[in-house]
Amino acid sequence: MGAAVCNWCKRLEMPIIVFAYLALIPLLSVNMASEIIIFSIYALSYNLLYGFMGRLSVGPMLFLGAGVYGAAMCCVYLTANPIACIAAGIVCGALLGMLLGPVTVRAAGAAFALVNMAFNQVGFFMIQTGLAGWTGGSDGKSLYFDPIGPLDFNKPNHVFGLALVCLLAAFFLMRRLTESPFGIIIKTIKENERRGNFLGYNIYGTKLLVYVITAAVSAFAGALYAIMFGYVTPSFISPARNIEVIFATLIGGRGNIYGSLLGGAIFILISSYLPNIIQRWELFFGLILLASVFWFSKGIPGIMDLFGPKKQDVNASAKGGLR
Amino acid sequence: MPSQPILETRDLSIAFGEYKAVDKVDFLINTGDCAGIIGPNGAGKSTFFNMLTGMYTPTAGAVFYQGVNITRLPVEKRVALGMVRTFQLVSVFDSLTVLQNMIPPVDRFRRQYANKRLFYFGEAESPEVVECCRTWLAKVGIEKRGREMTANLSYGEKRKLEIAMALSLEPKILLLDEPLAGLSDVEIKDVLGLIGGLRGKFTILLIEHKISQIQNLVRRLSVMHEGRMIAQGEPLEIIHDREIRRIYWGAGAE
Ligand SMILES: Nc1ncnc2c1ncn2[C@@H]1O[C@H](COP(=O)(O)OP(=O)(O)OP(=O)(O)O)[C@@H](O)[C@H]1O
Ligand SMILES: [Mg+2]
Repeated sequence: MGAAVCNWCKRLEMPIIVFAYLALIPLLSVNMASEIIIFSIYALSYNLLYGFMGRLSVGPMLFLGAGVYGAAMCCVYLTANPIACIAAGIVCGALLGMLLGPVTVRAAGAAFALVNMAFNQVGFFMIQTGLAGWTGGSDGKSLYFDPIGPLDFNKPNHVFGLALVCLLAAFFLMRRLTESPFGIIIKTIKENERRGNFLGYNIYGTKLLVYVITAAVSAFAGALYAIMFGYVTPSFISPARNIEVIFATLIGGRGNIYGSLLGGAIFILISSYLPNIIQRWELFFGLILLASVFWFSKGIPGIMDLFGPKKQDVNASAKGGLR
Repeated sequence: MPSQPILETRDLSIAFGEYKAVDKVDFLINTGDCAGIIGPNGAGKSTFFNMLTGMYTPTAGAVFYQGVNITRLPVEKRVALGMVRTFQLVSVFDSLTVLQNMIPPVDRFRRQYANKRLFYFGEAESPEVVECCRTWLAKVGIEKRGREMTANLSYGEKRKLEIAMALSLEPKILLLDEPLAGLSDVEIKDVLGLIGGLRGKFTILLIEHKISQIQNLVRRLSVMHEGRMIAQGEPLEIIHDREIRRIYWGAGAE
């Protein structure tokens, strides 16, 4: 019975996702809907690293920024073809991931979080000051992308369409990856990293690959931001904004790809509307974050569990040691 | 036909700071043999296993596998050569289902190297993989619990799962670190029967605290004490050796 229902869900999944985002347009605005979609791609990529593999990074903005600036620099100095710019953004993110991954993935826990933050700081400095001659420094650059045939990404509707197609691509990529044998290995890393070696897997290589995928998909989202906003500033790589995607992942639920869509939407909504209602909205934001860390370790989907029968929290019993 | 050594150590030593946990151990096990290592708490048995399997790097000495020096070979490459182990404290993945625990070891041969695309984009729980996992689970008698979360298994069932995972890696040599520790009497009988049935299929080396449990199982027994291998021989010889009785029973084991 369960399998049949599941098959139906899977067939309807794509239309439901498309419909849900289309429904956001009249409720909010096209731009807001696009922003939610792009941010959700970023959240999906981060979920792979943090939610599935259990590596909390406090520097994912670096890769988002690599995509934003990769696309922007391509637009300014090479070609204003938006597809080429997106490709440039992804390549920048992936290369940066390959460069830093061998250093970062050796660390775990707080060290991993901090070493990523440190690289993010370096990246931010380079964009703002070190390479200001090219990047425009604090002032940034404004971008103009060429139309491709009938597609003109200076029009919000077209950006929305592009973002939605990209989201679907990212979503189904993550779904396949996390439901494949590779996805199981990723989850074993979260629970006990060394153990996978004794099952014959090169865990270091797996971690590196996950890191690079996260970097590349984050950069993909970044490149879309560049196209959507039509300008770049260092705020797109600012370490101060790292908390955003962590928040979205915690709220949506770690290790749950639908959670990334939910958490991404909730974050953009909160950060856009809450400031209009409450002046010091960051306080409220912090409280939600605390609640999601301490009580709802599975995010909003986990709230349902509170009403169901008590289950053992497997994450709490995960020890990670080998004796 | 004289049998070939499968695993051999020479002068194998490791020190944690000043403390020599394993000190100049020469050890040899022949292909197809079933051997045991006994010794009191803290003798260095697990540490010795950790060096054999690549978890620790020895401070001195060497490990040879089928005549090849593997002292510095990474863990997963040793597994690829057929060296598989279990842990003193059962190590399975509590956050996955029992079947999902079986998938990585079962898949290692079936798909990872044969077809990378299936590894990254294939369905993890495809019917044929599930079938294969169930076959292995059936060998240890826990196939009914396949869909269960591993966290809900008893310690003994987790031990059986861990052994099933090890078997599905198709070892040439299987190293079991105190496979009976923490099990009930019934489970001990199960696991002993299981290991007994594996004798002859591949080489088995196991660590145990109590001689009595394994004296009928193994053909050779080594005794470890304070980081040294103080005796090796047939189980009966070892049991009746006066010096060993003094050290071992005198130390309060059993
Ligand atoms: N990583 C380590 N760092 C420091 N000391 C260690 C380490 N690993 C083991 N030791 C020490 O080495 C000694 C031998 O430990 P080991 O676990 O090998 O003993 P054992 O023979 O397996 O004992 P048991 O029967 O209790 O399992 C112990 O004193 C232990 O404290
Ligand atoms: Mg031990």
